[in-house]
Amino acid sequence: MAFYLAKRLGGMLLVLVLVSLLSFGIIWLVPGDPTSAFLDASATAEQATRLRHELGLDQPLWQQMVAWYGRLLHGDLGRSILLRRSVSVAILERLPVTLSLTALALAFAGLVGVAAGTLAATLQNRWPDQAIMAAALLGLSVPDFWLGLMLILLFAVQLGFVPTGGFVPFGESPSGWFRSIALPAATLALVQVGFIARMTRAAVLDVLHQDFIRTAAAKGLGRARVILCHALPNAAVPILTVVGIVAGAMLGGAVIVEQVFSIPGVGRLIVGAVLSRDYPVIQGGLLFLAAIYLTVNLAVDLLYAVADPRVRLE
Amino acid sequence: MRRRTFGTLAASAALTAAAPRLAASQPRRGGDAVVAIVQPPPSLDAQITTAQAARDITLHIYETLYARDENARPVPELATGVTVSGDGKTYVFPIRDGVKFHNGKPLDSADVVASLERYRKIGGSAALLAAVDTVRASGTHEVTITLKSVQSTFLDNLSSPRAPIAIYPASEAAKPANQIEFIGTGPFRFVEYKPDSHVKIARYDGYSPNPGATGRDGFAGKKEALLDTVTFRFMTEAGPRNAALEAGEVHLVESVDGPVAKRMGANKSYTVYKALPFGFQVIKFNHAFGVTGDVNFRLAVQSALDMEEIMSLSFPDIYQMDGAWVYPGSPFHTSQGTERYNKTDAAAAKALLAKSAYKGEELTFITDPLRSDVDTATMVQEQLKAIGVTVKISVADWPTVSKIGFTPTGWHFWTHGFGIEPYEGPASVMAPWVGGASQQKADAEVDRLYAALNAELDETKRKAIFAQFQARFYEQAIAMKAGNYGNFQVATARLKGFTPYRIPRMWGVWLDQA
Repeated sequence: MAFYLAKRLGGMLLVLVLVSLLSFGIIWLVPGDPTSAFLDASATAEQATRLRHELGLDQPLWQQMVAWYGRLLHGDLGRSILLRRSVSVAILERLPVTLSLTALALAFAGLVGVAAGTLAATLQNRWPDQAIMAAALLGLSVPDFWLGLMLILLFAVQLGFVPTGGFVPFGESPSGWFRSIALPAATLALVQVGFIARMTRAAVLDVLHQDFIRTAAAKGLGRARVILCHALPNAAVPILTVVGIVAGAMLGGAVIVEQVFSIPGVGRLIVGAVLSRDYPVIQGGLLFLAAIYLTVNLAVDLLYAVADPRVRLE
Repeated sequence: MRRRTFGTLAASAALTAAAPRLAASQPRRGGDAVVAIVQPPPSLDAQITTAQAARDITLHIYETLYARDENARPVPELATGVTVSGDGKTYVFPIRDGVKFHNGKPLDSADVVASLERYRKIGGSAALLAAVDTVRASGTHEVTITLKSVQSTFLDNLSSPRAPIAIYPASEAAKPANQIEFIGTGPFRFVEYKPDSHVKIARYDGYSPNPGATGRDGFAGKKEALLDTVTFRFMTEAGPRNAALEAGEVHLVESVDGPVAKRMGANKSYTVYKALPFGFQVIKFNHAFGVTGDVNFRLAVQSALDMEEIMSLSFPDIYQMDGAWVYPGSPFHTSQGTERYNKTDAAAAKALLAKSAYKGEELTFITDPLRSDVDTATMVQEQLKAIGVTVKISVADWPTVSKIGFTPTGWHFWTHGFGIEPYEGPASVMAPWVGGASQQKADAEVDRLYAALNAELDETKRKAIFAQFQARFYEQAIAMKAGNYGNFQVATARLKGFTPYRIPRMWGVWLDQA
């Protein structure tokens, strides 16, 4: 187990180095720099050069790269050009927003998706199964930005249940927090529910055709107990895999949802940084998201052993 | 071909408010007005950025020595006036006494000198003060500026809202770009900036109004803050912005599309404002790259295009057909050269094309993703196809496009708006073309005319120079102007006292009881 963990952590480190190199290389290859956020089209090249110097962007690329990695080794992701604060602080300020959004969405998608998938499997080829699978396909096909807009129109503009956007911190008002996060989380979740439901259905169906399920039914166990206590736990590994993938996808989806709902999360931070070429935020943000994604993957792999004692992590 | 002409614009030269419902209610203090703006500001250090999103906010917090009035003319703001020496090179500005910054510090000449010196070093549009030789405090409330040479536009420059020459406390003016505390003398003080979310400002109760001002007047005049606070929410997506207004969470949306304005205008709960003209739609040629360097080709394109079709599709319901390179109503407005504007003469275009170096190659039109810019590029592409010119449209984000567009290769056409330049006046319209900065190859005549305009103090002669510049633009098709576009702004009917201008001014504005 310890060896497995060390091997995985080493692999994660390697991936993070590659991500940092890639993010550094790509953003410096893309035309434009942060001066375009400060200056409009009528700015002269001289003005842009002066501002570039003022912002410290006129140093050679290799010098900037060495300085960035030097800081990184000390745990410093650099300082945002536009936000007047360190990148770590900028990310940490927004992390609770994105984490609460994805956690709520994941909990919703996981619960509804697994329940719907299990129900569909137990009622295979009957109308509830077909209805659930049709709804799942619909959910998978709907773009999240469109779904978000429709939910805003219905629940915020027409019914007035929730605000159209913005974010209220939990510490400020727990009910305000829930109202501000409910619609974005639902948007993020609804797109993924279908995926989890379909994969759960397939996993549960596989298990339902196993001998031990027939044996459990033959010894007189109730249908519900067979499903919940025997079929579902044995289908946990593939479901866990799907939930892990969905957690990663939600981090990506949060970028769009945060834009639509004007939520100040990590996704919006990175989108804004890309549009304004705030290099330190792009580099730091991508590295941070990659680290979260890798951690989620590692956590899922470790959970395999918990979900299925036959799995040995070596 | 239909062609509309616009003679003069009434008293408000730059902007018109179309059919706002008259405020029947009395001004009242209090409330928090929420304004949805389309982009976050890159900085609230007003001096270093020319971004509209920053101006929207900073011009509530900071003030300048001179500011533009409703007709965009420079008038005193923190200065009480100016005395100009006989040779036109020395300007003495008495500074208003009794003005206090938001931190309580009284304004004096040291603050003004430090702010101007900072701007000369790191100002977002430092060229505005390029003619300045020295700036010194000639009294505790008097500043003397000497110029290297006569500059007829010096007060225009000093009052420019482009990257405002904001007056900071000297202690803040000593700080590097984007590192200051946001302390000004304006009618609102800075409260908080939540990145990716909003900026909040609050009424400054210690505000010292300009004693000479009687009413709201551009960026100058009477600035009476009635609202307790104003929150500028950054809402980049149009749909959620409009939804927030309809849900009552936002009181004013800075910019909405024509169809949305039409729909909301039919509802008594909203007031639709029409800021027109708000900018020019400009189509640039790259004179340093391929066939767009050939004047016959550029003239062929100029002859071929139906500008009204371009404007009506790019800016439905909110455009003006006008070929002049300043806004209608400006003293510099002239029809010189405009006989070549919006001709849509395919035969003449084909004849000019035949004389040009064009050999059927594919040309590149760069544009940012803004719908109106993409629509303009698409219309040009279609219209040029009719005379046998092949155009490929290349869409990229603003930083990419602006980087490519200021390099001499990789593009033939580029379209975007010119908003602040025509507002500022003729020198600002001319400046981007000096030295070939925008067209990538200098035009000696344009450079000469720009220098002449700057050195000429007689307004009649300056008008003649600008007319020559405009004629040169059409004769050489240095760039093309498609027309004037406007901007729809929509507010809840509860928001009273609002009139559109270059920024959503929130002084003199109040919220009626719900």
